[in-house]
Amino acid sequence: MLSILLWLPLVFGIVALLVPAARAWVPALAGTALTLVLAAVVAVGFDPGDPGRYAESVSWIPELGISYSLAIDGLSVFLVLLTALAWVPAVAFAASRNAGDGRERLFYFMLLLGETATLGAFLASDLILFVLFFDLMIVPFYFLFGLWGRTRDGATAGGATTKMIIYTLVGSLLMLVAAVAVGFSAEEVSGKPISYSIPELIARGIGESDQYWLFWLFALAFFIKMPLFPFNGWMPDAYRVAPLPALAVFSAVLSKVGAYGFLRVVLPVMPDAAELFQTAILIFAVVSIIYGSAIAFTKIDLRMIIGFSSVAQLGFITLGIFALDETGANGALFQMINHGLVVVPAILIVGLIAERTGSEDLGPMGGLAKNAPIFAVIFLIVTMATLAIPGSPNFIGEFLILNGTFQVSVAIAIVASVGVALAAYYALRMYQRTMQNPLPPGSDSREISLRDALIIVPMVLVLVILAFAPQIVLGETGDAVSAVVEKVGQLG
Amino acid sequence: MTTASWAWLVLLFPLLGSMVIAFGFRRLPDRTAGIIGSTAIGLAFIAGIGTLLGLLSEPSESRHVASSLWEYAGVGDLRVDLGIFVDPLAVFMVLVVTGVSFLIHVYSTAYMESDQGYSRFFSYLNFFVFSMLLLVLAGNFVLLIIGWAFVGFASYALISFWYRRTTATAAGMKAFVINVVGDIGLVLAAILIFRELGVLDYEAVFDAAPKVFSTDQWTVVAICLLLLVGAFAKSAQLPFHTWLADAMEGPTPVSSLIHAATMVTAGVYLVARTWPLFELAPAAANVAAIVGVVTLLVAGTIALVVTDLKRIIAYSTMSQIGYMFLAVGIGAYSAGMFHLMTHAFFKALLFMAAGSIIAVMANDQNIDRMRGLGKALPFTAAMLVIGSLALSGFPFTSGWFSKDEILDFALYRGGWYTILAIAGYVGAFMTALYAFRIVFRILPGRPCPEAEELIETGHVAHGEAVNPANGQPEDYEVGYPGKEHHIAEQSPGMRFGMLPLGVLALIAGFLQVPGVTEVVTKFLEPTFEGSSLAAIHPPVSKAWLGLLNGGVIAVVGIAFAWVFWVRRPAIPGSLRQKFHPLYELFVHKWYFDELIHAVIVRPVLAFGDFCNRVVEPFVVGGIVTGTTSLVRSAGALVRDLQSGMIRAYASLMVVGAIAVVLFLLLRGG
Repeated sequence: MLSILLWLPLVFGIVALLVPAARAWVPALAGTALTLVLAAVVAVGFDPGDPGRYAESVSWIPELGISYSLAIDGLSVFLVLLTALAWVPAVAFAASRNAGDGRERLFYFMLLLGETATLGAFLASDLILFVLFFDLMIVPFYFLFGLWGRTRDGATAGGATTKMIIYTLVGSLLMLVAAVAVGFSAEEVSGKPISYSIPELIARGIGESDQYWLFWLFALAFFIKMPLFPFNGWMPDAYRVAPLPALAVFSAVLSKVGAYGFLRVVLPVMPDAAELFQTAILIFAVVSIIYGSAIAFTKIDLRMIIGFSSVAQLGFITLGIFALDETGANGALFQMINHGLVVVPAILIVGLIAERTGSEDLGPMGGLAKNAPIFAVIFLIVTMATLAIPGSPNFIGEFLILNGTFQVSVAIAIVASVGVALAAYYALRMYQRTMQNPLPPGSDSREISLRDALIIVPMVLVLVILAFAPQIVLGETGDAVSAVVEKVGQLG
Repeated sequence: MTTASWAWLVLLFPLLGSMVIAFGFRRLPDRTAGIIGSTAIGLAFIAGIGTLLGLLSEPSESRHVASSLWEYAGVGDLRVDLGIFVDPLAVFMVLVVTGVSFLIHVYSTAYMESDQGYSRFFSYLNFFVFSMLLLVLAGNFVLLIIGWAFVGFASYALISFWYRRTTATAAGMKAFVINVVGDIGLVLAAILIFRELGVLDYEAVFDAAPKVFSTDQWTVVAICLLLLVGAFAKSAQLPFHTWLADAMEGPTPVSSLIHAATMVTAGVYLVARTWPLFELAPAAANVAAIVGVVTLLVAGTIALVVTDLKRIIAYSTMSQIGYMFLAVGIGAYSAGMFHLMTHAFFKALLFMAAGSIIAVMANDQNIDRMRGLGKALPFTAAMLVIGSLALSGFPFTSGWFSKDEILDFALYRGGWYTILAIAGYVGAFMTALYAFRIVFRILPGRPCPEAEELIETGHVAHGEAVNPANGQPEDYEVGYPGKEHHIAEQSPGMRFGMLPLGVLALIAGFLQVPGVTEVVTKFLEPTFEGSSLAAIHPPVSKAWLGLLNGGVIAVVGIAFAWVFWVRRPAIPGSLRQKFHPLYELFVHKWYFDELIHAVIVRPVLAFGDFCNRVVEPFVVGGIVTGTTSLVRSAGALVRDLQSGMIRAYASLMVVGAIAVVLFLLLRGG
């Protein structure tokens, strides 16, 4: 079941390579839709009391203890669902604006390869498999950004992707080394034959002194991927050049894999290190919150506002994880999902705004709500969720994160909450400067088309449903997240 | 039906109304939105009466109900239900909110009649009422915060309702951001409560608090101070008040409903709601009282000098809420709630009258231009006078009974509270002065052109509207009172909105005649059961003495206003000359906007700028350049190795991926 879910997008991606370019979007859209259905079936059938239900495992390279094993549990179930959900509007949006450049086949293949790789990272329950998918993830986006990116504000597609690949490569190599070393260290500790099965690694544990340096290798790779300050150097240019549909899933899902890696691997396998370096990581996180928010506060480029607000949001998520507290970690996982749900519509809306105004800068904009009340309301809901207004699921995520952080350090929680106030300003300003104020000449206030509404509204609806009952998610994830955190707590 | 079901209905009707209007905005025939909106609030009021009767049928010691729909969020020990808590205090607020809202909705059906944004307006307005009721009925701190933030959102949406005006959108932003700061205060308070007590439901918190906290222990003081941050931001108390005057950019019914009668009093309700915490933290309660008094004085001085009709009333609102904070800060809970109610009546009325006048003046709000409106708008003038009398605390009006009950309580508690009471009396004198400054300047005298046209033709024709704040032309298509703007008081809807409030502003005080009726105190008693401060009752004779004080001050204040602006109009000018620095201070609103800009906005911008110019290129970018050159120099040394490494790495990935696919194909998936 999980294997089908995992490889389905790639299969359809290959099909997309074989059909005429103008029709390449058909298998792509069908593939993502089918994947979503399958992911939903898995999620509905998921039972937190029986996490082994869908697990599958095949020995792959027995000499090295590497296996092809997939599993789904409370940590991954909603991230898998989010991935499947996010790819549909992205593909649909791309399809609705077919470039007509004759390279569509490759575009959709890459996009769907990206989905398979991302799903793989969430589903892998073998550490090496996780690392492989983690690295594979960036490859299709390298091509998507490099081949379909546009030169904007002095950033070229080539330059941006080079930066991105150098960063990622450094992180990935370090993590590969670390992952291999984890297996050897665990072998040494347990005296059993080498294995990279994550549950097995957790059970064996690794030596304390090994934990201390391995921890930082993993942390560095994850921080780069998120990104957190000061490892965000690749982010601005990549965000500037990226084609929007690819950017939507990239920002919504790929950034979460890093945070997920902390919960999946780092905390349970290296609990001593997590505890020892807790304060350091919390400070990293809170600096990212303030830094990302402060820059978003000054930017008028919509992509940059969303990009730096993501830095701040990932800071919040990291804060929640490293509060090493039940509420904080649950809030962090919930916030990963919420942030994904918010970012996809937000980035696609940037595209709609650019089509109406010819710009992605707030400076020359305004008044778009005039003939487009439905468009305005959709954007307003997304804006309010972005700034985590109480009543949105994002608020519950933030509340739990702050609550968890508060148990560890009152000062850090209070500094982090400054980020909340800044978000209120930069997020609302995005809405206000685009939708309200006078409509400048040359801007076209037209209502969102039915097609675009069908692409964007479903994710907004999910947000609205979660607003009424965040417990839908929290109830399923609670046990798994708490187990991770308790693992660390037991040692302290 | 049970009391709880009635209470859920109170919440349901406005939400439903808002959604029906929102989803039907193009399909609903002309002006149906107003009828749906008003009906929804009317039904909520009836459900509120049902809740009241349900509670009253219980013996007084069991007059509280908690009810929950489903578990909202639960992690570990933290459990939050979608639940409400109904007790006399909540019902009292429900009735005030729905009652006044209903009248303002009816008024709005007429006031907004020619506005293109008619449906949008009622959808927002109903959503606001829903949010306010959620705030009032919430059964735990998380749901309280949600209602709290939703009213902030509704307030934002309605302040910037005429979103084509840059002044309106800027005002909306300011209100929203300041309110978010308040929300953060509440969030931190809730988190601290949870850490100390392990619960978030009101009942559980109030039960546990006295067992865990000792009086004035720092944690409970911190909780209360954080709650006050939220309360001050929402209720426009110093130093979080600067948004309220700007909020007057919104349509006048909004000012009347949100920025006078209901939302801005939420902070007072919050303190009364959480009295068991504040009584454990007298230090924080004193902060509430002192800030209230300072606010009432500062706002009073500003109201004396500004010339924008709506802003004068807005500063007056700040000032009156200051009295309410004084009340709940010193433990005069029922007096504070009573003043909240009478203030809702007379302040909503004053704004409605102002709206009527502004409509005639083509949205010009400068009182310097208004003259002789008494004859042109007799009904509005009568309402304005009634509202001003009640505001000034003229004997036997509602404001007299309510405000002077607060000051009397402060005097009775003695000690340094006497100072607060005296400051309150000074404020009362200023109140009478600025209230009748409006009355005496705009009602009598030689009619201004608009008033004259109205008297002669029974109608006023306006030209193209411009925003008086920046001279930009208004855009009728995105919603603005149309050119054919009708005359307020000729419309039955507006009269129906104003008249009941006028009557209530005059007679509602008789609910609380010392030693005779005291209906509000008795009704609220179960909520404040166990409070040592609520048990304090000044003797009846003292209460009447207090009323006498207040009455005299009001009459003297009005007399001074008559001298200043009718008898000897030269006096205000010469006073302005004589006390020029003070006048400058007042007219610049004590420079709070400038202060906040310098202390908060500028440093944040400077920091962001610093990050952009220095940190991004040199620190963050430095890592890239550093890494790149490292890779490059390593490559220069062992070029083969480097490219070999990347190639090996890339092929590992590709081979791995292919291997996995092959493997699966061979194994049959």
